[in-house]
Amino acid sequence: MTVVALRLAGPLQAWGSRSRFVRRETEKAPTKSGVIGMVAAAKGLRRTDSLGELPDLRFGVRIDQPGQLLRDFQTAQRPKKEKDGTTSWSSLPLSQRYYVSDAVFLAVLEGERGLVEGIDEAVRGPEFPLYLGRRSCPPAGPVALGVYDRGLEEALASLPWVASTRSQRRHRANTVRLATVRDAHPDEAEGELVQDIPVSFDPNRRQHAWRTITRGTVEIDNPHGTAEKGEEHDPMASLGG
Amino acid sequence: MSRTMIDIHVLQTVPPSNLNRDDTGSPKTATYGGVRRSRVSSQAWKRSTRVDFDSRLDRSELGTRTKRVVELLAEEITTRAPELGSRATELATETIKAVGIEVKAPEKEATPQSGYLLFLSRRQIQNLAGAAIEAAEADDVKKALKEAKVKDLADREHSVDIALFGRMVADQADINVDAAAQVAHAISVHPVETEFDYYTAVDDRNEDHETGAGMIGTVEFNSSTLYRYATIDVNRLADNLGDTTAVRRAVEAFLESFVRSMPSGKQNTFANRTLPEAVVVLARDSQPINLVGAFENPVRESEHSGRVKRAADALREEALEVQRAYGEQPLDGWVTRVGDDTANLEELGSNVSLTEMVTQLGELVGTRVEERS
Repeated sequence: MTVVALRLAGPLQAWGSRSRFVRRETEKAPTKSGVIGMVAAAKGLRRTDSLGELPDLRFGVRIDQPGQLLRDFQTAQRPKKEKDGTTSWSSLPLSQRYYVSDAVFLAVLEGERGLVEGIDEAVRGPEFPLYLGRRSCPPAGPVALGVYDRGLEEALASLPWVASTRSQRRHRANTVRLATVRDAHPDEAEGELVQDIPVSFDPNRRQHAWRTITRGTVEIDNPHGTAEKGEEHDPMASLGG
Repeated sequence: MSRTMIDIHVLQTVPPSNLNRDDTGSPKTATYGGVRRSRVSSQAWKRSTRVDFDSRLDRSELGTRTKRVVELLAEEITTRAPELGSRATELATETIKAVGIEVKAPEKEATPQSGYLLFLSRRQIQNLAGAAIEAAEADDVKKALKEAKVKDLADREHSVDIALFGRMVADQADINVDAAAQVAHAISVHPVETEFDYYTAVDDRNEDHETGAGMIGTVEFNSSTLYRYATIDVNRLADNLGDTTAVRRAVEAFLESFVRSMPSGKQNTFANRTLPEAVVVLARDSQPINLVGAFENPVRESEHSGRVKRAADALREEALEVQRAYGEQPLDGWVTRVGDDTANLEELGSNVSLTEMVTQLGELVGTRVEERS
């Protein structure tokens, strides 16, 4: 199996999965539809084009730096030309937009070699500018981390920690536990259903199918760690329990 | 096919101000690099850019303005629906009439022409052709065109704005337009705490024995050195407008407006309008690169150097690092800057005034678009 790894980092990101009308929410980790959409943009597909094999790729993310939730309050106005040539402005509904700020994610797509290499190449020289879920969130630093010969689970468990140097230093311990969210295997019993497989990005008729996800954690080395991982703290031990 | 992206990086200091506030009246903030930063949302700065852009772009200078719109439209209809070839001219004439443009009666064998010179963008021609093809099947073509609201499809006032800024409000005509310009939220390069200005207001008509205030309140504000970033995808703009001169003028006006404009929030309270300390424009051919990573470690002022100097140095380092590590060599670069603090930025491009920068960038864009077509 081959995977392509992407580093999604920037001051702000927004990964909506259930947004409607004036309340635009974000998930705590990148969504499959968001990342596939970004890849499709890099490949130069229009919103109305077919996504081809992209939605069939297996997808997983690792939360390397969780960041914080940010609420943005937004007003908008519509200009209207009056008969006498002046412009009047009428207010549109207020909207609340949510972002994840100061976060870093590792996103991994697994598929056959040719397709995966094509994605890596497209992200390095994108046809449409890349953005992290919303137009106003350009990525900071390069996105493409390269192509690896391993499976999705193995990639999530083995690729180096890509959080910022600052948070790696602050962590101190020389290993770190990171949360992962990935596509479940068909034979895995446990899982959550989310409506997050892009079928079409056509603005007149957007469609998403359901996918089953599995949440887990992986242990990764901290290149800036200085301390050995301490013993588990057991408060009951002192009571002879 | 050659690609052209224009990255605009701006460092700008604002004094105590509240440019962009949320529903509680506090200036907007975001966390980055583990500390709180002042933030001005992209939509706020886009709007002031757009308003300024409107006043700066003289639409009479736009590229190919032609009387031969009917011909253009008929060609587009024929390419999209060859079976309508014989009726294309008639459909095009009806469509242009429905838009409300007078069409002169044809002379012998000639295609009708509009009464005056028009600039219609590539996208508008496509939209109108689509509507004409839809209407072709109706019994009453005129009525069908009216129902298709072709007037809105050819909103001639804003074709350039929509190509550049995207649609502000979703309507059918522009639902499939992606803006060619991308604007990031501006964030401060250093940690910021919001401060409160406590004020009292005295009632001018108070009697002598009433000494209290008429009202009290607080205004929140902060002051910051902001990093602003925007990028223009020239290829996208050329696809949308379909005319070299129009693309060039749009890019020039956008640069000027983006640099000079400022959201007007609380302007009368703080009189905070400034111009940037430094503007760095880099033209690239692979992908746009946002250099906000330079400030992930927040800039701290010291006795020897203030924020602007530290920020300018960090920006220069980041740009050169990206160049070194990823081989991302810009096609060309220009720097407009003020004062000694920003001197180190000169390495990133030729040191010019904003006016020269706009002209030289326009020339580059013109040549690149010409080469592409």
